[in-house]
Amino acid sequence: MRQLWRVLRLLWSARPGGMWRGAILSVVVLVMGAALLGLSGWFITATGMAGLAGVGIAFDVFRPSAGVRMLALGRAAARYAERLLTHDATLSALAVLRLDLLKRLSARPLAELRQLRGGVALTRITADVDALDGVALRLALPIAAALLTHGFAFLMLWWLVTLPVALTVTAGYLGGAGVILYRVGRRGFGPSSRAEAAGQEMRRAAIGLFRGQRDLILQGRMPAARAALTGAETEARAAHDLLDRLDARAGLALATLVALVTTAVMLLALHAVQSGAAQPAAAAIGVFAALALAETVMPLRRGLAELGRMRDAAERVLSQPETVVAAPKALQAPDTAAGLRVQGLTLTRPDRVKPLVEGLSFVVAIGETVAIRGESGSGKSTLLDVLARVTPSDGAVHLLGQRLEDYPEDQLRRLLTLVPQRSALMGGTIRQNLALARADVSDDAAWQVLRAVALDGVIAERGGLEAMLGEGGAGLSGGEARRLVLARALLRRPAVLLLDEATEGLDDVTARKVLSGIRETLPEVALLLAAHRHAELEFADRIIQL
Amino acid sequence: MSRTSALSRLVAPAAARHLRLSSGLGLAAGLLWPVQAGAIAWAIPAWIDGRWAAGLWAAALFLGAALIRAGLEALAARRAYRGADMVITEARGALLDREVVQLSGGVSSAALGAMVAQKLPLLSPYLTRYQTAMVRVMVLPLLYLCLVFPVSWAAGLVLLVAGPLIPVFMALVGMAAKEASDRQMAEIGDMNALLIDNIAALPDIRLLNATERARTDFAARAEALKTRTMAVLRVAFLSSTVLELFAALGVAMVAVYVGFSLLGEIPFGAYATPLTLGQGLFLLLMAPEYFQPLRDLAAAWHDRAAAQSVADELETLAARPAEPILGTGGLAEAIPGPATLAMTSVAVQRGTRRLALPEITLQPGEMVVLAGPSGAGKSTALDLAAGLLRAGEGEIMVAGQVLDGLTADGWRARIAYIPQAVRMPDAPLRDILDPHGRGGDMTAALQAARADHVVAALPEGLDTRLGETGAGVSGGEARRLLLARAFLAGAEVILADEPTADLDHATARQVIDALAALKGQGAALLVATHDPELMHRADRVVRIGEDAA
Repeated sequence: MRQLWRVLRLLWSARPGGMWRGAILSVVVLVMGAALLGLSGWFITATGMAGLAGVGIAFDVFRPSAGVRMLALGRAAARYAERLLTHDATLSALAVLRLDLLKRLSARPLAELRQLRGGVALTRITADVDALDGVALRLALPIAAALLTHGFAFLMLWWLVTLPVALTVTAGYLGGAGVILYRVGRRGFGPSSRAEAAGQEMRRAAIGLFRGQRDLILQGRMPAARAALTGAETEARAAHDLLDRLDARAGLALATLVALVTTAVMLLALHAVQSGAAQPAAAAIGVFAALALAETVMPLRRGLAELGRMRDAAERVLSQPETVVAAPKALQAPDTAAGLRVQGLTLTRPDRVKPLVEGLSFVVAIGETVAIRGESGSGKSTLLDVLARVTPSDGAVHLLGQRLEDYPEDQLRRLLTLVPQRSALMGGTIRQNLALARADVSDDAAWQVLRAVALDGVIAERGGLEAMLGEGGAGLSGGEARRLVLARALLRRPAVLLLDEATEGLDDVTARKVLSGIRETLPEVALLLAAHRHAELEFADRIIQL
Repeated sequence: MSRTSALSRLVAPAAARHLRLSSGLGLAAGLLWPVQAGAIAWAIPAWIDGRWAAGLWAAALFLGAALIRAGLEALAARRAYRGADMVITEARGALLDREVVQLSGGVSSAALGAMVAQKLPLLSPYLTRYQTAMVRVMVLPLLYLCLVFPVSWAAGLVLLVAGPLIPVFMALVGMAAKEASDRQMAEIGDMNALLIDNIAALPDIRLLNATERARTDFAARAEALKTRTMAVLRVAFLSSTVLELFAALGVAMVAVYVGFSLLGEIPFGAYATPLTLGQGLFLLLMAPEYFQPLRDLAAAWHDRAAAQSVADELETLAARPAEPILGTGGLAEAIPGPATLAMTSVAVQRGTRRLALPEITLQPGEMVVLAGPSGAGKSTALDLAAGLLRAGEGEIMVAGQVLDGLTADGWRARIAYIPQAVRMPDAPLRDILDPHGRGGDMTAALQAARADHVVAALPEGLDTRLGETGAGVSGGEARRLLLARAFLAGAEVILADEPTADLDHATARQVIDALAALKGQGAALLVATHDPELMHRADRVVRIGEDAA
């Protein structure tokens, strides 16, 4: 529960002023709703009595009727403002929640981040943040509004009707609803987190079944896989059924509470009139207010039924580490002439025990182009990962004369750039994508690197640097996206550039053009290519066989 | 109209009964409100007149009606849930029944998984909230008007005018709700798309040392998104505010009319002159409830849009031409007879193209290679031989029997299939190699398939989890593991699709050796390949797609 509290504080902190104003306006809406019905009831009862007594002429009808109209208009206006304010604050909160998550995620090791790209992991994360979106809007705001409204209503009813009526309404609603909702929250905890887990399991099972469909059929295991899926479905349905039963029961209990409180107020009001403690018209206010205040408790049950799901999501989201480990101190003036030196490196794939290569040694000097050749699975990408410190090495790599491990992250990334095989672009303009590499990229610099990778024509055709790309860079062909990723890396102007299958998806002519463009743009760079195609191998000064 | 019917077709009679019952119970609950209103209208004049007993009876009547109403509403909610659950479960069952036994051509496993687990449940709010609210809107306001008019035609007129008849209101509601649903998609959808985009690019962002920049970018874009969304919301909320305003004004006008009327200042509008206090209170209490169904419907409107898009997607899936496999894909007793295969004058329809295959025969201990340009139908021939596709024309004989729905499962019990792109399931290697848990020593099989050192290199050996979230194996390794499974299962027929494609020479050699070892054990091998080395080792080469004549 502490985690939920932390999420709430985070969401609230996005726009505390907006949230509070929204909460106060929700109170205004609720109070005005109760006041509208209470005043109308009083007005009708009072005019009815005046009419009976024949003193209708003396009755001041204008102030109450003006009040009724004012409340009607005011309530609608307040509702409008409340919705705008809370949505504005919530949207800010959604952004803050996602920013916080991004911050936590980006502190994780690079190798782990790559696994997040899988569909299952992404769905998990978005399902979690979606669950947390409701913490402020469906849970905290209605509860805060209900508490404040009842505080105000208590004072008004005490003043206008009697203390017993005020006490019955406030204690009845807050106490009764408190007990009911506490029980819903508690009992719903298990089923709500089970329902979420079973839903995810069902999804996983379904994807697994369709992914492995051929194999399952050929192995005669399709009915078993189908049965496993049905099992997950049955479990999810059972949990949802339990939740729905709880929800229906909570609704029944709350409606019963409204009925009991209103009836109790009817009886207390009758007693007050009988004993002369209140006028009938004032007593009527109590009954109408009791009816109208039902609005404060009924909406709460939805948020509470989701409590279990929210708590689980909060735990997963907040369990991501928050801070980056303290970086080592920046190194003094690295020797820019030293290039990249590897001495006696043992290469092991992250999920294997047996090393791929042992005692690997080579040097890539400044201005030199070296290609690494090897069959698929021979460890080219693994080697580049080690050289870029995506995965740890054992001190065998020296960058510009210093041990790779000794560089702080910031300095390392400035000196060395890796373009992995799977590089992602983002939705946004071409300029925004390039600006990831260099924030203050000028038009000239941007066009220069685009020309270097033979992409200037394509981009110009699409509307220049402000051309929009869809999610993940959609809108560019595979080869164009690849070249934009290369252009982005060139903007970093690193001392060492590592390219994994740099020209994948390009035809031979373009590939050669791109490679020489890279060399022309960065004549000094130590260039290491993991290569398997002819154009790349030919371009290299030296080839290392893995 | 066809869009609505896509939704209604999903509701089977049994589920429809539940949903109708739920609507009926909801209507019955709505009918009890006038009783509660009447009880209060009875009670307050009684206090004034000092009829204390009547006051008590009125309170009791109110309580009774309120409790019954609460009970009916709870029952209605449960019924609706049960109906919706039935609809969803049936739709999911139908989808799975169809899709698990046909190779999911053109639809990704992720899309099917999302439909099964995430999209189908979106039907529930539509069925439980929208449909019942719709029924209430059609009945209750009209019914309440019928109760109000006999008391006061003027109050009735106010209600009639305040809600300028249902159709106009419905248009308003529809506008408010359409924007509300757009809004939901806009605010949540875009914010999540932004998040996913960012998470997917995180490794690159880190490599470019752009963590801070990307975060500032995200914040700026979220802010821009918010500004855009709020501009839409300002308008969208206006429409629903109009709805609420009319409701509040209706209540206020009834209250003011009743007040003046009770004072005798408005002499018209009622049949009893002047209006009595009880009648006035009854009118006041009926006014807000008159508008309530409309507001419920407005709140549930976007549920329909969501449900409709799910129903449409289901229809699109179902509209694909059905291409079920032969048999059930279940475990069956192997069919008897020698492991032979004979395909005569077989042709299939692939899209708009008719694909005719040459005669293919296969005997135990024989390796036949299918050769031909890519796209000529080599893989199709293998699928046909495994009963994964149905032949439109011609005849496929296996072990001396016709390959059909009855024999396919038993035939598959005897074959092993090595696809070109092996997709390892998310499971421990031991379970992948021995899917039926027969136990026994795997060493010999792994050695025969040249896969023993593949296993040795895995961190936990046979207990290593493979698949999307587990350790990866390269294409050549995966093929050798599947060959080991063929040895282990004692498969008599091996179907292999490009078993040496994308492999370096040494690895390809090992795969070929393993295939040869299987042949040496008396297995029949049907191999689709371009590899000259494999063709060289074949007993026969059948050319597909080339003018063999």
